[in-house]
Amino acid sequence: MNRTRLLAGTAVAALALGLTACSGDAEGGSGGEDDGDVTLGFYTDKAAWEPSFEAMNEASSADGTTLDFTGYADATAYDSFIKQSFRTRQVPDLFTWHTGAQLGELVEQGLVAETTDLWTQAEADGLVPDGLKDNYTYDGKQYCVPLNVAYWAMYYNKKVFEEHGIEVPETFEDLMAAAEKLKAEGVTPFHQMNIIFEFVWFQALLAGRAPEVYQGLQTGEASYLDPEVVEVMNQWRQMIQDGYFIDPGVSTDPQTLLSTGEVAMAYFGTFFTGQLTDIDAVSGEDYGIFPVPSMDPGAGGQMILETGPLCVGAGAENEERALEYSAWWMTDDAQTAWTAERGDVSFNPDVTVEDPELQKLVDAVSADEFTIQQRYLEANPLPVYTLSTEIFGDFVTNAPEPTEGLERLQAEAETYWSEQG
Amino acid sequence: MSTLTARRAPVDTTPGARRRPRHTYLWSARGFALPALGVVALLLYLPFVWTGYLSFTEFNGLGDPEWVGLAKYQEMFADAGFLNSLRNTLYWVVGTLVLPVGLGLLIAVLTYGIAGSFWYRLPFLLPYAISGVAVGVIWTFILQTGGALDEALALVGIVDPPRWLLDSPLNTVVMIGAATWQGAGVNALLFTIGLQSIPKEPLEAARLDGASGWTMFRTMTWPMLTPLTTVVVGLSIVGSLKQFDVIWAMTKGGPGVSSETLALTMYKETFVSNDYGLGAAIAIFLTVITVAASVLYLRRQLSGAKEL
Repeated sequence: MNRTRLLAGTAVAALALGLTACSGDAEGGSGGEDDGDVTLGFYTDKAAWEPSFEAMNEASSADGTTLDFTGYADATAYDSFIKQSFRTRQVPDLFTWHTGAQLGELVEQGLVAETTDLWTQAEADGLVPDGLKDNYTYDGKQYCVPLNVAYWAMYYNKKVFEEHGIEVPETFEDLMAAAEKLKAEGVTPFHQMNIIFEFVWFQALLAGRAPEVYQGLQTGEASYLDPEVVEVMNQWRQMIQDGYFIDPGVSTDPQTLLSTGEVAMAYFGTFFTGQLTDIDAVSGEDYGIFPVPSMDPGAGGQMILETGPLCVGAGAENEERALEYSAWWMTDDAQTAWTAERGDVSFNPDVTVEDPELQKLVDAVSADEFTIQQRYLEANPLPVYTLSTEIFGDFVTNAPEPTEGLERLQAEAETYWSEQG
Repeated sequence: MSTLTARRAPVDTTPGARRRPRHTYLWSARGFALPALGVVALLLYLPFVWTGYLSFTEFNGLGDPEWVGLAKYQEMFADAGFLNSLRNTLYWVVGTLVLPVGLGLLIAVLTYGIAGSFWYRLPFLLPYAISGVAVGVIWTFILQTGGALDEALALVGIVDPPRWLLDSPLNTVVMIGAATWQGAGVNALLFTIGLQSIPKEPLEAARLDGASGWTMFRTMTWPMLTPLTTVVVGLSIVGSLKQFDVIWAMTKGGPGVSSETLALTMYKETFVSNDYGLGAAIAIFLTVITVAASVLYLRRQLSGAKEL
């Protein structure tokens, strides 16, 4: 008797579990009709941006399209998930990715929808600045649309600057002098990290010292052992040894470190504004932004640009609608809503940013005061970038003699370029 | 007498009859075991075979794997980073054998037989209930530059402490410490069970002969703990070889690759560098040494037991 009841109970439980597993998530949108309301399945590794995307839904729902947001907090897990989803029938409608070699990989396999027409229209309507298209062009065709852009600049704590009588540096010499003064008065001048963004000071220094070498590394025409690169590494090493940087073992959030004045300056992309706003730091009062002066003044102003794509999976259930959404994303309406939400700059030249510090930066860029450079991460071959995370991570932590690290990077680059033929 | 025989079930004692029930029993036994076996085969053996196949291919997660034979294994053995990971893994194996096992034994022996021994063991056991990532996060908070430990040291006047998580091999040592904090308790529990199962008579006899303290432990208690020691050491070897959560949560194998172990290299090569072939080769290698270590150790222990 008891055994029968136990078996029956187990069978019912197993059946119930099975049914819940089967029903699962109805991802990939409902309906699929062009006229009705459509929910697009949207995936991203920027899980923290969910509120912004939900706010965008309010703007886009006028057209009847909304996003069903799935955010991953771990970038590696997200990348694997997207790659594996292409081997299933549930190709994502919309997803964020990375420009550069990684987008190239997807394009090569024909996994993302072509957007050449969307770009042509956007350029005709003046929705995108000149040159942005190059980041999305492979073999003369465009794929995906820009989700966002970020410029990399120096954020600084205004109160610390005032207290120690420091003016916003306009030349690299001024910047070093400011660092020296801050150090002498017991304030850590700069922030840097030995993970995720370990390469950013390399990029800032090299682009400012020798932009043609910075670009040459991206195509294999320059070498990591070139004298300019060695000079930059030695300069960086000297700065670390002089104690200009915070100890990379401190894992407190950079926005907290900056707003409390534990570091005076932090080199970040303009997405950092959103992070500062989240902890109630006020732009223009608590912090300001200035472009990093070039290490060699003769090189002219260099502005590092980072852009991330919004992609439509080729063969996705709602591909048509997703492409329409992509086109809408670049319009003035969408981008105005987006900048207001994120507090970051927009690639759309017609959209003004509320934040005065950011707008100042955007105006300077639009006034052609700067040469735009791609961020190191996206611009360089993937195996070289992956090795650089190890080399620069160790460099930020231990400031070793740079030669060995540079030799290893060059060896990796040479292997990569020889395979390209 | 007659009532007893009446209650006994009738048994058919002809030769053929005895074979039939056993035959049916075997088939129904197999039938019951098959679904479970199916699940294990699908979720464990099939992926293992697939990983083995991938270790002979060039694959980046998109498109199809391309057969390259032993190239990935050659690449693995030639890589300096691989030797570094191997060395760190060895530190972990040795460290986990010395610290959590040794500490567990110490706790078990010290708290055995005294009043309230459960309450003495409990604080050591509680960390086992939390996940490896949580352990990593807690200890990062303590060990980061300017973290809880550095602040405590500053209070006693040590203002220039070592960089716990940044300098190698110190970072591996402190992470083994964090893993010890988590693992010592459960080892203590297993050893306590072992101590409880030791028969009292031989110990009494030894005490009458004059043995006590260290001599008692070395000559009587320790040899009789062998069954549990085998379990604890076996589990520690396997656990240390596949340790991932704590290391990933604390340093991600960094800075650079200084604290990377084989498990982390396998993960990084597969999911960060997108070289599934190399990651698979490392996975197969790790499986081989784990199985080899376990088999060698267990065979030695269990054949030794037969001699007793």
